[in-house]
Amino acid sequence: MEESAPGGYFGKALIVDLDVGEGMAKPLSEKVLRSYIGGAGLGTWLMHECCPPRVDPLAAEAPLIFVFSPLVGTPLTTSAKFAVVAKSPLTGCLTDALASSHFAIAGKLTGHDAIVLRGAFARPGVLMIDGGSVSVAPAEDLWGLPAAEAERRLRERTGPAWRVAAIGPAGEHLVRYATISHDGRHAGRGGLGAVMGSKLCKAIMVRGREKVSSADAPAVLAAARELRERSFGPATAKYRELGTMANLLAFNAISTLPTRNFSAATFEGAPSLGAEEVAELRQVARSSCASCSIGCEHLYRGPGGKKTRMEYENVFALGPLCGVSDADAVIEASSRCDELGLDTISTGGTIAWAMECAEKGLLDAPWLRFGDGPALLRAIEMIGARDGLGDLLAEGSRLASRSVGQGSEAFAAQVKGLELPGYEPRTLQAMALGLAVNARGADHNRSGAYEADLSGAHDRLAGGEPHVAGAIETEDRAAIMDSLILCKFLRGVFTDPFADWALLLAKVTGWDVDAQELAATARRIVLAKRLFNLREGWTRAEDWLPERFLSESLELESGRTAELSADRLEAMISSYYRGRGLEQSGLPTAATLTLLDLELLAAGSLAQLDLELVGAGSGQIGVSEGD
Amino acid sequence: MIVVRAAGQELPELDGGVEVVDDEREGRGPLQRLAAGMQAIGDRASVAYVSSTDVPLLHPAFIQRIVGALGDDVDVVLPEIGGHPQALAAAYRTSLLSIVEELIDDDRLRPAFVFERCRVLRLGEEMLLDDPVLARLDPMLSSVSNLNEPADYQRARALPPPEVEIERFGTLAPRSGSRRETVRACTLGAAALAVGLTLDEHVVAALNGDQISRDSHLPLAAGDALAFLAADAGG
Repeated sequence: MEESAPGGYFGKALIVDLDVGEGMAKPLSEKVLRSYIGGAGLGTWLMHECCPPRVDPLAAEAPLIFVFSPLVGTPLTTSAKFAVVAKSPLTGCLTDALASSHFAIAGKLTGHDAIVLRGAFARPGVLMIDGGSVSVAPAEDLWGLPAAEAERRLRERTGPAWRVAAIGPAGEHLVRYATISHDGRHAGRGGLGAVMGSKLCKAIMVRGREKVSSADAPAVLAAARELRERSFGPATAKYRELGTMANLLAFNAISTLPTRNFSAATFEGAPSLGAEEVAELRQVARSSCASCSIGCEHLYRGPGGKKTRMEYENVFALGPLCGVSDADAVIEASSRCDELGLDTISTGGTIAWAMECAEKGLLDAPWLRFGDGPALLRAIEMIGARDGLGDLLAEGSRLASRSVGQGSEAFAAQVKGLELPGYEPRTLQAMALGLAVNARGADHNRSGAYEADLSGAHDRLAGGEPHVAGAIETEDRAAIMDSLILCKFLRGVFTDPFADWALLLAKVTGWDVDAQELAATARRIVLAKRLFNLREGWTRAEDWLPERFLSESLELESGRTAELSADRLEAMISSYYRGRGLEQSGLPTAATLTLLDLELLAAGSLAQLDLELVGAGSGQIGVSEGD
Repeated sequence: MIVVRAAGQELPELDGGVEVVDDEREGRGPLQRLAAGMQAIGDRASVAYVSSTDVPLLHPAFIQRIVGALGDDVDVVLPEIGGHPQALAAAYRTSLLSIVEELIDDDRLRPAFVFERCRVLRLGEEMLLDDPVLARLDPMLSSVSNLNEPADYQRARALPPPEVEIERFGTLAPRSGSRRETVRACTLGAAALAVGLTLDEHVVAALNGDQISRDSHLPLAAGDALAFLAADAGG
């Protein structure tokens, strides 16, 4: 299989059974690779293949998949990325988190396009993959350590050629939004760290021993040089010069900065947290991921001189969303989330919900108040250890609000269980749709619909057909970037994205792929995720926003009122379904499944619904009563 | 926004959000146009600000003052400036459509006949300028100055551009000095140029914290606040 694999691929996945500590190769056909590319796309296909239907995400038999991509190992800038894919313990849906580091390169050069972990260790262990060989080392001495410290110790023992992805205490305690960390980066959203923790796997170590070649190496090198040049241009200036934190004051100025659990969209304390202010006082260094020429990482000095990488999403979630304007507290909170292995967005979102509950007397935690930095830090520690109130908050805002009840579900800012990122849906109504319908839940990386809102082409307060088109287009673009994989901060340098990406993929793989094929691939990947969720029990009611966004309006400085009615959201969702070739039930039509070559995946999903595929090609919904 | 025109009348290029409707019955005066506009609104709005189209100095604060004065006990807010009622600078309840249509059918084509049959709040200059925002942004009530002659137009062109507040964010901000400036500019493009920016695929602006635009011809009014942002918003 290896000999016949297309350029950029090994044509196989490594399936590791943690129960016995053994691995075996699973061939990946060229058809599958071309249909799903790599990263999030290939990971989705593997989840259909390897994940038992309706499995408990924290059960031993639930798979955890590390997926590489055809561009990993090439000189193309930002391509040293991998996806981690699993059924999310936070959402019950598919989750796919991306991260950049040398782990991607070493992992792929073990000779595999993906590494699938199944089963669980009997006691804490470290999985070591050295080329094709698999072994297990004990990890009792590492259990309880922050991921970065575990990584440091492991590399000290084994040498620098080994690369490590590890979990922190939050993953060990099965916090439903725990992360997997490596090189100071994190596969953040959806609780992948808890899945790894449920397998008692403290870390996975990889050492590359193989080589992978591109179909046209000189052409790839030339393309890499050109892309690198473009990556120094104005499209990436924001990321390079100030980092994503530059969003904060700008979003505040346009009433898009979620504040105090989405009860407001501007924050009076924003100036003390904005990159423009903080950078001058606290920024100590800039850094970049492996194989990246943008260099978006900005390190800030926190209390005690500790250096912490700060991003907009950390600052929004732990600052304005919790009403905290003390930069020291926000940097410290972000640093502790990194050490404990917590997704900062879900941490901030869940704590903000709890703060509102406490202020309304729905939770017995009088110490937990908006704006209180020490209370924020205390809550983070409790979550990481599942201590006291932290045990409830470790479940995420959806499950916690179901437990607390008393109307608190209405202001739990989550979709499908995933807490909202820092984009206010009432003032960004294309984004409102993107947040509602995305397979991963409320997410800004799988749906970049805010681009349509901020383009100036449409009224961002009046969601309608143009917003739907924008949401679909950005979701499709994300599906390809997340499967190739390339960093989204690079997206502005592509003038004709699908054509440009097809050209890169063609040079690496040797395929005669074009923009049209990639556009279809994007739609296939988006729907494959939806099909997985359908299989796992997704219902149409989950494509929706929490009540707060539909019943509470926001007043803008311009005098306008930002409102998002249920009718308007429903109309956008209906239109989105039509645009995606879905029935109004959210199920794909048979014609769509045929067009995108998804019948096989769909058959498995529909079987779980006790439905079967009928009338392919008829354009009708592909369901009838099954046996 | 709805523009009523004579059937077939040529119009300059209008923003994509503007609806154009034809006044099918020529020569019936402002009431017929008012009726055509109200019919086009249908049940989409309960109140309409009605304006002639030759008032280039119309300030949003003036519209806010007029519409904001329309309480539950009022059907029309009618400014009176220089002793003259300004029927084409007034706010009307759209429920008046049936009265307007009746008057047209009866050939009673002056707006004054509408005012006889509904509850009208008349606002003189002093009352209008009670509003500190309007007093600051349009102290001469130029909002109702219509231009009828080429000389009027030339005089309007010679006026100094309005003062607008600018704030630059992120990488668009100066490396030293204030991010905030006050400049005089008639359009978004002129304001951008005044602070050394060009509206392109990497730069957008938010007008008064509301709509995002990269339209360099977007007209500005005194007191407008512009936020210039990097168009690459992700992260």
